[in-house]
Parts: sequence; structure tokens; C-alpha cells
Amino acid sequence: MISSFSIVQSLLLFLFLQSTPRIVQVEAERFDFAPSRITVAPGEEIELHLTSADTAHGFKVAGTDINVEIPKRGQGEVVVRFKADGDGPWRFECSRMCGAGHHFMRGEIVVKTPKEKDRP
Amino acid sequence: MELHLNRPNDAPAVLDFHRFVLLFNHSFTDRIRFVGELELEHAFVEGLEAAGELELEQAYLDFLISRAVNVRAGMLLMPLGILNERHEPPVFQGVERTFVDTVIIPTTWFEVGAGVHGEVGRGWRYRAYAVAPLNALEFSAEEGIRGGRQKGAEADVSNVAYTGRLEYLGVRGLQLGVGGWRGESGFAVPRLDSEVWLAEADARYRLDRLELRAQYAHVGITDAARLNDAIERTTGVSPNIARQLRGFYLEAAWRVWNGGPARDVVVFARHENFDTQFRMPEGYIPLEEFDRTAWVVGATYYPDPDVAVKVDYTTLKSRSGFVRLPRSLNIGLGWWF
Repeated sequence: MISSFSIVQSLLLFLFLQSTPRIVQVEAERFDFAPSRITVAPGEEIELHLTSADTAHGFKVAGTDINVEIPKRGQGEVVVRFKADGDGPWRFECSRMCGAGHHFMRGEIVVKTPKEKDRP
Repeated sequence: MELHLNRPNDAPAVLDFHRFVLLFNHSFTDRIRFVGELELEHAFVEGLEAAGELELEQAYLDFLISRAVNVRAGMLLMPLGILNERHEPPVFQGVERTFVDTVIIPTTWFEVGAGVHGEVGRGWRYRAYAVAPLNALEFSAEEGIRGGRQKGAEADVSNVAYTGRLEYLGVRGLQLGVGGWRGESGFAVPRLDSEVWLAEADARYRLDRLELRAQYAHVGITDAARLNDAIERTTGVSPNIARQLRGFYLEAAWRVWNGGPARDVVVFARHENFDTQFRMPEGYIPLEEFDRTAWVVGATYYPDPDVAVKVDYTTLKSRSGFVRLPRSLNIGLGWWF
């Protein structure tokens, strides 16, 4: 009885972990995102936790409805979910004018199979 | 915006609304963008008098093609050093910009031109532009190549200069960069082949409360002896322009209070060395007053991440035993939105 309860518990935990998106921390700072290249598996859903090291920035993913403002330094984070439905890549950029090099603030989300992800 | 109070030990205090900057941007499409930056320096512009300046520091179109290759054309910031492309007042420590970024790399350095930029691999970013060259006739012993910027004002482009930068941003908190500029700059004098080159390397590292910065810049001017002769024939005075200039600085900043807005205070110390007569042409003697060292210590209070209240004390010395350079207390207010 106890052992079948453990199996169910483990199964539920496994299903929970499978449904919990991977968290990716992204920091914006004039004039780049770190990281500026995010790799996902086909169909994977990720949760982007966006913070700023200085002023308020924007985070817009082209071709999606994701377009949020990242609060200024020390004013918390904004969280968005992204699902890799398709082959990508998806370009993201700062959508809030943040200074002289604003248009350098770009990056991309690329889809790679686990084997490709292991390659250097 | 930057408002400064400078109080040298040997001169009256000066209150100056140093910079008022307006930034514009417009997206024609997702892939064609415009950026403009108009700057009013010293609050006041009057014709035929040495007063303020109204400068168009950026006005370019970006044609966004891919992550790796994009095309940019118009009035461009030269991709050199830490400050030239990144000069919003809350971004740097100290009331005034660094001396190295003033007399060795003449910020704000902008010119008309066109080129490509992009990002490749994991965190490698580059820019490469063809731009209008410097005018060597405007160089000086004290400020180096600074006076030679044509600033896109009916710029002579009978010769083209090339500039570029490679940055590595692949490690969180670390930014490494190398930049270069090369161009034939003697176009204003017949038969003068005065080529100018500038090479620089810079690094920024941020770890929790600590931020470190370092930069080295070196300028070379070929045929400097003939350039000095040419200017002397025009003005009657030899400008004593060097064949090499160089400068570097090291800066450490510590966030004393790290509690976000209204509780952010950073203290810093910076050491600079810059020599606009590092190597002279044969027959010319370097003046020791142009081999200068500066210590800048101060603090910045951020009531908001976009507002900086700055105070610093600057000690400037030269190797000359005769020329005493001023020490100054500086207070500044800078903001950006």
C-alpha cells in the first residue's frame, strides 16, 4: 500500500515537473540583454524573468503578443511565458527608448533539439 | 540632461547647464528604424561667438536584416571606448566625463557614414562603418585630435575613414571591447599624407555591488612633422602636435546602499593618465605639461535609477614643474527619461 502511494506521488511529481516551465533569468542593461540568445527545445515552454540593471526597458518578441515593460532597477521583475510553437527563431528587442544605443538591444530565441543543445 | 557646478581652487565657480539632449526614434516598419539625437551644450548658442553648441549627434536609419548583419547609415556615433556610445549621465561615475574619453577619444565623436552591425555566436557583437575623416589642420597639442572632428557639417570626404568595434558580452556582468579608427586626415593641405589611427581596449565588470572599468586608448598621427609645418605656415605658430598620444584609466565603484530607488548610493575612485605628447616627431620636444595624471573620487546618489546627484573631487597634475593644474570640487545633477 505504502509503495504504490510512493509510486503515485513520484508520478505526480514527475508530471508537475514536466508541466512547470523552465525559468530563464534575463537582465536588461543599456544596451544589451544577458543572455541575448536563448535556446529552447521544440515545443518547450519557458518562463522569462526579466529584470533591469538600470532604467526601464521594453521586451518585445516579434511575431507574438509579448510586449512588456521591464521595471527600473530595484523595482522588481516582470514574468512572461513563451512557448516554442514552431521552428523559430524569434527575435526579441527593447521596445522602450532607453538611450543612445537603444537599437542595439536585441536578441533571439532559437529552437534546438537536445542533441544540438549539447554541441558547443 | 546634465547640470554642473565646477569649483576650481584657482578660479571662480561656474554653474553650467552642460547638456540638454533630445532623443527621437521612429519605426517605419519592423525592419526600418530611425534614431535621432539632438544636443544643446552650455544652454546657449549665439552666432560668431564661442558659446554653446547645437549638435546633431545621431540621425541614422537602421535596416534590420538579421541577427548577424544589419545596415546603418546617417550620422553615427563612433564605436570607440566605453562612453562614446553610452553617455547618459546616470551611466558613468563623476560629474564630468573621463579625461581619456575627452582628449584621447574625443567624445562625443560622431560623423556621417554607413556600415554594418550585428551579433554572432554567443555574445559577440560588432560594428564596422565607413565615415568622414578627421581634419588634421584642427589638431592641437593640448586636446589632441578633438578639434579635427568634422561633425557631419559639409564634411570633406575626399578620403574615407574606417572604424569598427568588437565586443564580447557572453559572460553576465562582463563587457569587453576593442575598437579602432583609421583614416587619411591631411586632406586640407596639398601633398600632406597625415594618416590617423586610433586603437582602444576597454572592459567593464559588475559583480553584485562592485563595478570595475578600465580603458586604454592610443592614437597615432603619421607625417606629424609636416603637419606641424603646414599649420605653422598658416598660423605663424607651431602647434607641436605629437605623432602618438595615449591614455588609460582604471575605475572602481562600490554600491554602498543597494536597496533600489531612493536608497542607492555609489562611491567611486578613478585614476587616469593621459599624454597628448606621448611620442613627438623628430626634432620636436614634448612639453611635460601635457603628460597629465588625474585622481577623481566621489559619490553618486540615485533617488531614482534615471536621476543621478553627483559630487566629486578632481586632482589634476602634470609632469611639468612650472604648470600647476587645478584641483576642483564638482557637483552635478543628471537625469534621463
